[in-house]
Amino acid sequence: MEAIWLYQFRLIVIGDSTVGKSCLIRRFTEGRFAQVSDPTVGVDFFSRLVEIEPGKRIKLQIWDTAGQERFRSITRAYYRNSVGGLLLFDITNRRSFQNVHEWLEETKVHVQPYQIVFVLVGHKCDLDTQRQVTRHEAEKLAAAYGMKYIETSARDAINVEKAFTDLTRDIYELVKRGEITIQEGWEGVKSGFVPNVVHSSEEVVKSERRCLC
Amino acid sequence: MFGRSRSWVGGGHGKTSRNIHSLDHLKYLYHVLTKNTTVTEQNRNLLVETIRSITEILIWGDQNDSSVFDFFLEKNMFVFFLNILRQKSGRYVCVQLLQTLNILFENISHETSLYYLLSNNYVNSIIVHKFDFSDEEIMAYYISFLKTLSLKLNNHTVHFFYNEHTNDFALYTEAIKFFNHPESMVRIAVRTITLNVYKVSLDNQAMLHYIRDKTAVPYFSNLVWFIGSHVIELDDCVQTDEEHRNRGKLSDLVAEHLDHLHYLNDILIINCEFLNDVLTDHLLNRLFLPLYVYSLENQDKGGERPKISLPVSLYLLSQVFLIIHHAPLVNSLAEVILNGDLSEMYAKTEQDIQRSSAKPSIRCFIKPTETLERSLEMNKHKGKRRVQKRPNYKNVGEEEDEEKGPTEDAQEDAEKAKGTEGGSKGIKTSGESEEIEMVIMERSKLSELAASTSVQEQNTTDEEKSAAATCSESTQWSRPFLDMVYHALDSPDDDYHALFVLCLLYAMSHNKGMDPEKLERIQLPVPNAAEKTTYNHPLAERLIRIMNNAAQPDGKIRLATLELSCLLLKQQVLMSAGCIMKDVHLACLEGAREESVHLVRHFYKGEDIFLDMFEDEYRSMTMKPMNVEYLMMDASILLPPTGTPLTGIDFVKRLPCGDVEKTRRAIRVFFMLRSLSLQLRGEPETQLPLTREEDLIKTDDVLDLNNSDLIACTVITKDGGMVQRFLAVDIYQMSLVEPDVSRLGWGVVKFAGLLQDMQVTGVEDDSRALNITIHKPASSPHSKPFPILQATFIFSDHIRCIIAKQRLAKGRIQARRMKMQRIAALLDLPIQPTTEVLGFGLGSSTSTQHLPFRFYDQGRRGSSDPTVQRSVFASVDKVPGFAVAQCINQHSSPSLSSQSPPSASGSPSGSGSTSHCDSGGTSSSSTPSTAQSPADAPMSPELPKPHLPDQLVIVNETEADSKPSKNVARSAAVETASLSPSLVPARQPTISLLCEDTADTLSVESLTLVPPVDPHSLRSLTGMPPLSTPAAACTEPVGEEAACAEPVGTAED
Repeated sequence: MEAIWLYQFRLIVIGDSTVGKSCLIRRFTEGRFAQVSDPTVGVDFFSRLVEIEPGKRIKLQIWDTAGQERFRSITRAYYRNSVGGLLLFDITNRRSFQNVHEWLEETKVHVQPYQIVFVLVGHKCDLDTQRQVTRHEAEKLAAAYGMKYIETSARDAINVEKAFTDLTRDIYELVKRGEITIQEGWEGVKSGFVPNVVHSSEEVVKSERRCLC
Repeated sequence: MFGRSRSWVGGGHGKTSRNIHSLDHLKYLYHVLTKNTTVTEQNRNLLVETIRSITEILIWGDQNDSSVFDFFLEKNMFVFFLNILRQKSGRYVCVQLLQTLNILFENISHETSLYYLLSNNYVNSIIVHKFDFSDEEIMAYYISFLKTLSLKLNNHTVHFFYNEHTNDFALYTEAIKFFNHPESMVRIAVRTITLNVYKVSLDNQAMLHYIRDKTAVPYFSNLVWFIGSHVIELDDCVQTDEEHRNRGKLSDLVAEHLDHLHYLNDILIINCEFLNDVLTDHLLNRLFLPLYVYSLENQDKGGERPKISLPVSLYLLSQVFLIIHHAPLVNSLAEVILNGDLSEMYAKTEQDIQRSSAKPSIRCFIKPTETLERSLEMNKHKGKRRVQKRPNYKNVGEEEDEEKGPTEDAQEDAEKAKGTEGGSKGIKTSGESEEIEMVIMERSKLSELAASTSVQEQNTTDEEKSAAATCSESTQWSRPFLDMVYHALDSPDDDYHALFVLCLLYAMSHNKGMDPEKLERIQLPVPNAAEKTTYNHPLAERLIRIMNNAAQPDGKIRLATLELSCLLLKQQVLMSAGCIMKDVHLACLEGAREESVHLVRHFYKGEDIFLDMFEDEYRSMTMKPMNVEYLMMDASILLPPTGTPLTGIDFVKRLPCGDVEKTRRAIRVFFMLRSLSLQLRGEPETQLPLTREEDLIKTDDVLDLNNSDLIACTVITKDGGMVQRFLAVDIYQMSLVEPDVSRLGWGVVKFAGLLQDMQVTGVEDDSRALNITIHKPASSPHSKPFPILQATFIFSDHIRCIIAKQRLAKGRIQARRMKMQRIAALLDLPIQPTTEVLGFGLGSSTSTQHLPFRFYDQGRRGSSDPTVQRSVFASVDKVPGFAVAQCINQHSSPSLSSQSPPSASGSPSGSGSTSHCDSGGTSSSSTPSTAQSPADAPMSPELPKPHLPDQLVIVNETEADSKPSKNVARSAAVETASLSPSLVPARQPTISLLCEDTADTLSVESLTLVPPVDPHSLRSLTGMPPLSTPAAACTEPVGEEAACAEPVGTAED
């Protein structure tokens, strides 16, 4: 099977610095880390293929903004060069949920006239006994902003894959309908290509390993 | 799994129960590494998997088992990674190693472990490794790795990166080579790295000096050139635009440029004085002055110097002042704009050259003589020479020198591959040379001086040409840039340039780093200045002219421009103690305000939905005051003003399109100029908003409902909830109340809604029920109405249902009419338009009742309905008493204008003072209560369905009864008292008629009811008994026709 991807989507992950963004990314990129007791492992950049339908693959580029919030010039540009993102809050930290509104307003200001497709993520759902935000109110907030809502846990591998694939599918639908287009100078969406023989060989190897898992 | 299975077979070990995260597993993996020190096609996958697993174990061990990392250290496993990296084993292995490095450095929490990874110059050797940066993923991982390292940079770790002895700082110098990388995320990472480095350098003098002396000039000069090139591209995009087709691209260019400015500001606010001096110098003398400011004055002249168009120039300068607040920079820039002239620029250039001959500051936008990479390389060469002179240097150092040789060769090859001209233009030959350091430095210095001299000559020539060209002009203007700024405000055709000028003045006056004295020189005080004695008359006059133009029917002034003008004028002339504006200017401003009143009047007559627009526009303006920074983020203002909404441009940033938008614009212009006028005259606003939140009845209010009309009903909401409530109708609102348990006759409000936003419809199969919807006031005329109440009201019988419906319907009409009258008072409208408005009000009411949403087209169709139109005019023509009504209006109109300024009370008393009808309405609401008491007592018998026509007749009679009541209310109290007894007998015949089935009998009886009431009501109106009978006869049929119309409408609904 050839390793072909239709598009490359650039995604960002935003939210308060304590909600575990890096951990979520790491869980998605590797699909493992089951036995690490404190899943704060993070990575700033990763790319990975996602199959949203049989035979249809999207290459995701995921960038994390951790550690950079204090520089305004940095965060602005991150938003503007992405097509979608996950907006994280910590279900055990009500303050992080209350700040979701601020994150969205901040993004909107810097991205106009374009828009970013977001999925609202209630993270750390493995700590349900310490929950401070109910699923219902989170769903209500997400609906008010036209977002989907999903609850994840990197520790227990709950819904991490689904959060990214749902977001990818939403973006893909918008691209197909022409509501999001490839533009010169904009890096949110790029068209795909067939890698050369060497790359293809490597991708096949990766793919096989995933199948075995 | 495949990899793991393979390794088991290859290793010959059969153990399957091994724990994946453990010291034992790490030992096993170490064994795998020692057996595969050379990367081959066969073991590549195995190695990648091994490295990945090692990474996981290390992270796990960092948190669970410190012996794991101890083992990693003892066996020097990190060196295995480096050896694999050096073998150039291909992209696959490279990506995994970089990812591993990212994960390790980002997540290792123990300082000891971190310091080990950073020690022995391992990291620096990775940083300078020549990866294949054309591979997008490798580039991303590499730059993320550098960024991660920069986040670990602090006083304790800095010595792992910055080498004082070799004067080398690879983390920083390798990063800034990518400052202009095509990929935006790479550029962003570079900015992050530089900002983190500068932050740490505040506490490390040696590193700070290195950065300033070795890197600041080449980096900042290249950065400034990069930004300037971007600006020229942006200007080209503006100038080549047709029909706003470039807007998308322009938006990206603007956003990128703002990122540049924010980055510059982020550097400046770190407050690294040495760096800021270099950066400020480069920004001023290489970009802002030669490109931005120079373009203000030399628009029409050719010349060799690069230029940008006037609007873009003004726009960019505004952005500088909005975003950058570094005092030395903004004050120098403002000095040139406000007080500079060409000769001063020329003289200053010479002065700068004399002052700093070593590094002359040439005021010119020119490309740096060397690429950043080459400049850094040259500096590195100098460092290398110094190192070689130390005879006692360790052997390790010598080895490092040997390693750098191939690196340099590779670098030169890369440069040749790029096709850059750096090699051919290089001042220094690239071949190895044994010349001593002194000779090299001398040669370098001489070449530098020669280059600067050459550039200086070019600059002088340009300056001389400019000076000669503008010799005659300079005699006219002593401050050409400031005059150009004023001149842009005078454009008679549109406000394209004016908006930018206003933004520039606003940005300068609000800049936190700006010296107030500089602004005082042009009499432009900063906001909240304590004392103002004078103001800028030329500027004020131009602002007033803009306002006057905005108030013209064909005014080409956008709302954003007008709002900014008002802000700047208030800023100039308003103090807490009062207004310092001259009388002649105040008079001109009043003229503009009056023009705006006339403008709104033009639309007042024509729009059925005028009232809704009026209140919506006021609400929008109040909720969204102007934010200049957000306004300037919108790239669309760089394109010439357009009127079509199809561009998606916000209403306030373009000209209006169509009658609806023209009406909205006229209303807003009126609001802005009215507000400005009141503030400058020190008068409070007492008439707006039409509906004050604090005056409205709210949920949980407790009302004294003694003597009030209350109708009991059951309210069924959409979600199925059912509650018992009493319905009370006020002048502007309807309320649902329940009895207050602590006070008899008082009620607690459970819901209150505006009558004007109400729709009432009957329920087909239930004559005792009404469907009532009240919409939330919309934030925009085009937004969909959002219901705040949608419920079915069930009354105890159909009589009360009809009464409630009539009361609500009339309340709505009356509320809207009263508000229209208040608007008319604001607009000083004469009587005739008021009367017409009443007619249109009816039309509006009719159309609104039939239509679910307030859409303009449907409203227009409703207003053009010939039946309604004819009916209204017929009604007016048929009433001989029209002259009397006119007299009443004449009396009330002066009352409105004379009383409204001093009035500071709320809506109820305000309404009372402005209209006689209000008090009449209040009285009538209490009188019917008494009248209806006898009616409530008897139980009315149910009528069979075939007798529906009789019900209609009954409706007529009921309404006939209520009208006389209202008329009676307007007369003296004595007359009211005297009429009360007569009402009781009238009720009895009506009730008795319900039992009879004969149509003829009903007709005869209804006619006999008329005579007893007529004489009294007419006597109260005119006081001329001889004329009363004919007038009454005419009035009655009209009432009957209206009554008949409503039931038909109900049936249709």
